[in-house]
Amino acid sequence: MPSATLETAARELNQQIGLTSDGSQFLTFNLGEELYGVDILRVQEIKGYTTVTKIPNTPSHIKGVLNLRGTIVPIIELRTKFGMPTIEYTAFTVIIVVVVRDKVMGLVVDSVSDVLNIDKNDIQVPPQFGAKVDVSFLNGIGKSGDKLVALLDMDRLLSEDEIQEATVATKAA
Amino acid sequence: MSNDFAQFQAAFFEEAAEHLAVVEEGLLELEQHPEDLDLLNKIFRSAHSIKGTSGMFGFNAVAQFTHKMETLLDLLRNGQKAVSPPIADLLLKSTDCLKTLIESVKTGAPVDDAAVQRLTSELASASAAGAPQPPASELTTAIDPAQSGDLTKTYVITWTPPNWLFQRGLDPLQTMKELRGLGELTKVTLDVSRLPHLTDIDPEQCYLAWELQLRTEKDSKIVEAVFEFVREDSQLSIQQVSAKEADKGVQSQSVSTATPMPTSEMDGPKPIGQILVEGGVVSSSALDHALAQQKRVGEILVEQKAVTPQQLEQALQKQRQQESGAHAKKADTASIRVDTAKIDKLINLVGELVITQSMLSDLGARFEMSQLHVLLERVAQLERNTREIQERVMSIRMLPIGTAFSRFPRLVRDLAAKAGKKIQLVMTGEETELDKTVIESIGDPLTHLIRNSADHGLELPEERLDNNKPEMGTIKLNAFHEGGSICITVEDDGRGLNRDKILAKAIRQGLISENDKLSDEQIWSLIFKPGFSTAEKVTDVSGRGVGMDVVKRNIEGLGGTVSIKTTLGKGATFTLKLPLTLAIIEGMTVRVGRETYIVPLLSILESIQPKEGSVKTVVGKGELINVRGTYLPMARLYEVFALEPEHKLATKAILLILETEGERVAVMVDEILGQQQVVIKSMEQNFRKVEGIAGATILGDGTVGFILDVRGLIEIARQETAMAA
Repeated sequence: MPSATLETAARELNQQIGLTSDGSQFLTFNLGEELYGVDILRVQEIKGYTTVTKIPNTPSHIKGVLNLRGTIVPIIELRTKFGMPTIEYTAFTVIIVVVVRDKVMGLVVDSVSDVLNIDKNDIQVPPQFGAKVDVSFLNGIGKSGDKLVALLDMDRLLSEDEIQEATVATKAA
Repeated sequence: MSNDFAQFQAAFFEEAAEHLAVVEEGLLELEQHPEDLDLLNKIFRSAHSIKGTSGMFGFNAVAQFTHKMETLLDLLRNGQKAVSPPIADLLLKSTDCLKTLIESVKTGAPVDDAAVQRLTSELASASAAGAPQPPASELTTAIDPAQSGDLTKTYVITWTPPNWLFQRGLDPLQTMKELRGLGELTKVTLDVSRLPHLTDIDPEQCYLAWELQLRTEKDSKIVEAVFEFVREDSQLSIQQVSAKEADKGVQSQSVSTATPMPTSEMDGPKPIGQILVEGGVVSSSALDHALAQQKRVGEILVEQKAVTPQQLEQALQKQRQQESGAHAKKADTASIRVDTAKIDKLINLVGELVITQSMLSDLGARFEMSQLHVLLERVAQLERNTREIQERVMSIRMLPIGTAFSRFPRLVRDLAAKAGKKIQLVMTGEETELDKTVIESIGDPLTHLIRNSADHGLELPEERLDNNKPEMGTIKLNAFHEGGSICITVEDDGRGLNRDKILAKAIRQGLISENDKLSDEQIWSLIFKPGFSTAEKVTDVSGRGVGMDVVKRNIEGLGGTVSIKTTLGKGATFTLKLPLTLAIIEGMTVRVGRETYIVPLLSILESIQPKEGSVKTVVGKGELINVRGTYLPMARLYEVFALEPEHKLATKAILLILETEGERVAVMVDEILGQQQVVIKSMEQNFRKVEGIAGATILGDGTVGFILDVRGLIEIARQETAMAA
């Protein structure tokens, strides 16, 4: 067996048992055919989708708020946020509850996939598409086997939703 | 300072506050019944407790001052002196002073030493004047704590130990610790003048000398005894001085010989540098130089490229936040005293809950469909338990409002004295319970209202007699429950609000125009405008026009309302209506399309179904609704929140007339669902403020419902009409 293949196999094995030394763990999830990842340390919990209460006069990607054991948690529809077409919710539709700057928020995604160890060397800087595609909320592109994982920068992705109140300025303004 | 100690201190402050309240209340009552010996004993006991505990904690300023008060109280108690108004006044002033002293120990706020000194001497002279001995002429000596029968004396000790001190295994630090055991080391100054040049230093020799200032109750012989072992070859002088001299002396000393050693650092391990310097291994300048080269961990990490400067900055910021957070936390560790009966009841209920729960899990383990009715029964029981526990837990936060009232007798007494009026304060309903946070927040507004009544409302005695009123004016403070809220009224039998005066003033200030037709209520509410005051003369109590607007703002901040009833020449009544608790409000659930919203019940005036043609538009857009002759701005909730409603026709829908801060708005909804108590949850915690929404709550089915922000809706309605106009 050639040594290169052996090395890959070893690394994959390591990944599976979580032994990679220099990397971080990511929770990956699907939006359509695409695979995304969030830093596992940001994830508080994963829960099935339940109906939310719509908040009036908010951007469409903010689905509403949810009662999470007594606290009010805003829920963000990632498909809408990324400008992807919405789909019917299925039994796999889940809410990933994340903590961003001490605020708890939920992300609606098509389904969760896996927890992956991605080596530092396997993460490359996000590509530039120019004005056509906004990738400012990507931390990098991770490789895991033959899979490509778009790693999300939570702070950048969710900051505008909470900070920019201008988006909900009254119609009168 | 260890945590335990801090905890004891917290207990001390709490207790001291309670004792102070007893003293103050007692003194006020004593003025009315000067012969009441029981009362005097009660005051004495409380003062004594403060003295005892503060001494125990080493708060000597407090202990000393209380001692002075106690001396006077003791004389009163023994009948050697009679309670006279000046003495009662002096004691009340002293209580205030004691309050500030304790406060300063707690927060480190500076104290007006001169004022304390003045009161101390006043107390001393009051005690001296009436006592058979010592004679009154000893006034000056009585002030001097060094020579009077005061608790503590101050010694200035200069000590130059012999050179061989270390060779005999003696430690000067030990001596100082012993001194500290006797009392308080208020100043420690290190004299390094004998220190030779570094090259000449023999590390086994002691070159240091100290000047110490000790405050203690002990005799100078005992102080001297501390130096017993090091006495030989030492240069030692122990001088008793008055506290003032001591302050001066050491201040000038510390400037000339430098390096005062903070006493608080004498415990625990010293920094290594200090030990080296003290041991004579290095000189202090060499140490300073070394310290200057020392880098912070963060800087080193940045240099090693382990972290970026930005990351470091963030981490530092976090550290600062934590520091300030810890600080803030310390400042307001609030605690609550709860009736043990309430806790016992709660424990019983929790016991019941546990039993119900175990019955349920037992049932669940071997459940058959035939047992459904048993299951339902037990679930119902669980529900009962839960509700009861909720109520009990809420009631723990409930305190009788009397705690907020207790400061007012004193306030009224002082105000009356200042204004030369005769005022009696009648308080009722002190036992009415409401939430602790509400109680804490209504103190200031109530103080404003009472000041206002005493200063503007009530007339001078002559004027009252001229108007066939009793000479003594009355302010009535009353608290009672009304529905889901609590009402507090402040009523006076003074001159009442003068309609014409208020109108004239409002026109002059440009708040209204001369042609405005205003209802009585609208006129009265003018006095809540910032900067509005009709008082002819500004006193130091009130009349500057600050206050009433603050009252209104504070009360509305608590979700309450203020209303006024008044008759010219007969008096005025201010009514505060407040929610029982801030966490739970009484709400009306309404429906618009498929959404449910909650409207705070306190702000609902009425609900109407408008008649055909009662809705008018301005410029075809801004809508107004005619409610019994008055046109109110109208907001369609479905438009404000961009929803799909059931009814777009106003005549089919329901209009809620809402009021806040004296302004009204009609809000159109599809249906009123019912009334329920809701627990307010914060939207800002995880999201942000949403226009028109005050907060969120969890509805019966577990989903989230929004609580409408009436103020915000009025703004929105106004903007829409303004846009249209």
